[in-house]
Amino acid sequence: MTRKRRRLYLLLACAVGVGSASALALSAFQSSLTFFVTPTQIAQKDPPPGQVLRLGGLVQQGSVRHVMDGTEPEALFRVTDGKSSVMVDYVGVLPDLFREGQGIVAIGSIRPNGTFRASEVLAKHDSDYMPKEVVAALKKSGHWNPAAGQPPPAATWWDKSKFKPVDAMRQAAGTGRTGG
Amino acid sequence: MTFLPYVAASYTLGVVVPAGFALAAWRRMRGASARLAAIDPRRARRAAAADARSQAEDRP
Amino acid sequence: MTVDATASLAPPRRNLHRFANPGRFLRLAGVVLPYLAIGGLVLTTIGLVWGMFFSPADWQQGDAVRIMYVHVPAAWLASAGYAGIAACSVASLVWRHPLADLAAQEIGPVGAGFTAVCLITGSLWGKPMWGAWWVWDARLTSVLVLFFLYLGHIALIRAFDNPERGYRAGAILALVGAVDLPIIKFSVDWWHTLHQGNTFSLTGAPHMYISMLWPLLFTTLGYSLVFAAIVTARLRAAVMERRIRALLLARVDERGVAERVAA
Repeated sequence: MTRKRRRLYLLLACAVGVGSASALALSAFQSSLTFFVTPTQIAQKDPPPGQVLRLGGLVQQGSVRHVMDGTEPEALFRVTDGKSSVMVDYVGVLPDLFREGQGIVAIGSIRPNGTFRASEVLAKHDSDYMPKEVVAALKKSGHWNPAAGQPPPAATWWDKSKFKPVDAMRQAAGTGRTGG
Repeated sequence: MTFLPYVAASYTLGVVVPAGFALAAWRRMRGASARLAAIDPRRARRAAAADARSQAEDRP
Repeated sequence: MTVDATASLAPPRRNLHRFANPGRFLRLAGVVLPYLAIGGLVLTTIGLVWGMFFSPADWQQGDAVRIMYVHVPAAWLASAGYAGIAACSVASLVWRHPLADLAAQEIGPVGAGFTAVCLITGSLWGKPMWGAWWVWDARLTSVLVLFFLYLGHIALIRAFDNPERGYRAGAILALVGAVDLPIIKFSVDWWHTLHQGNTFSLTGAPHMYISMLWPLLFTTLGYSLVFAAIVTARLRAAVMERRIRALLLARVDERGVAERVAA
């Protein structure tokens, strides 16, 4: 065995060691590395009232109500992950991206009656990037309603052989522009 | 344009930082090559050879 | 080890050391550098102007999406730069490649600069979209860790009087820190984060409409060439500086010998 080859093997052994040590450490801290808990996790774990939590999920369609809390606007809405949902109330200015169907993270705590009192609401945008016209066209043609759920799968945006958007999408964009 | 201050600040950063690095690297490279040229015996030899050659060409 | 194993090891060694010749590197870098610099400048300018004025606003983020044309290339180069340092560290520790040490030393500050751009533009993007400059989610935290790894590497590789020891220590730190790269990449899949998931994957179609994808491709490629040009120029300067030091030392030695002979 040459010295170079020995050094290479030594390095690979160290890489395996460091890699597995990190993997173990990360899985041990799994719960504290996660930025928010879902409504389902809250339903399962039933955290004590008053404990500060970050609750993440989608704003449930048709659940948003705006009321006045004295002089300040108060928003009431349900946060859902598809399986269970939590009622949230928040006094203050909501982020620009807040709307029905949007992912959000609410920071606050559970009240004894099971509703969530948020002191801060952060908006989480998803990883789909499209011009407004395309979304308007998709909405008009009935392909997708942004408030109801995720956009159509990205694979359908693309015609793989041509590396161009599929015709339906381009036509949708075209009609969207002339229509609006 | 909405959010213009945030976009403008990001673009400024995206231009100024690489430009700063590029300028610093270029000046460092120029300085090093000038200092090397002043003391490099190989380059001095090459220059002397070129000198001799041009003198030889000058002669009829 | 069998004979054919050493035989199979011989060619890559010869290949690697072909580029270790500093004179050859200086000539090659001198030829490549203008192409990298001009190509990078042109592509980046086209991409940035395209992204700022001609690409559409996003359906949910409006014009704030334009921050992406700086943020995404900076994030890519933050990781790619560190991967470059890690690759140099392997070449340094295993093959004692002399240029790899200098390359690792010169990539460090540039990579740290791009990581800072990534973090700050991310902050400028987070405030109007999320409603927060900073959150301690797994993606943001792991990139901040990468920034500190860069700073540690920059300091450690220059911390010793004997540069060889600095190179050795820096290489070990770089390789241990490389475990952060897959954590950054997969943080958005492994944990719930406020940061969005990956828009691009190796296997699936990109989750981005083509009119936004083109300028992003231009700035990403352009910034990559700019990064390469900066590192090449720094490395060229470093090779020449090393030669200057060697020449001056040799001169001092000659003088010392001459004085001893005279005495």
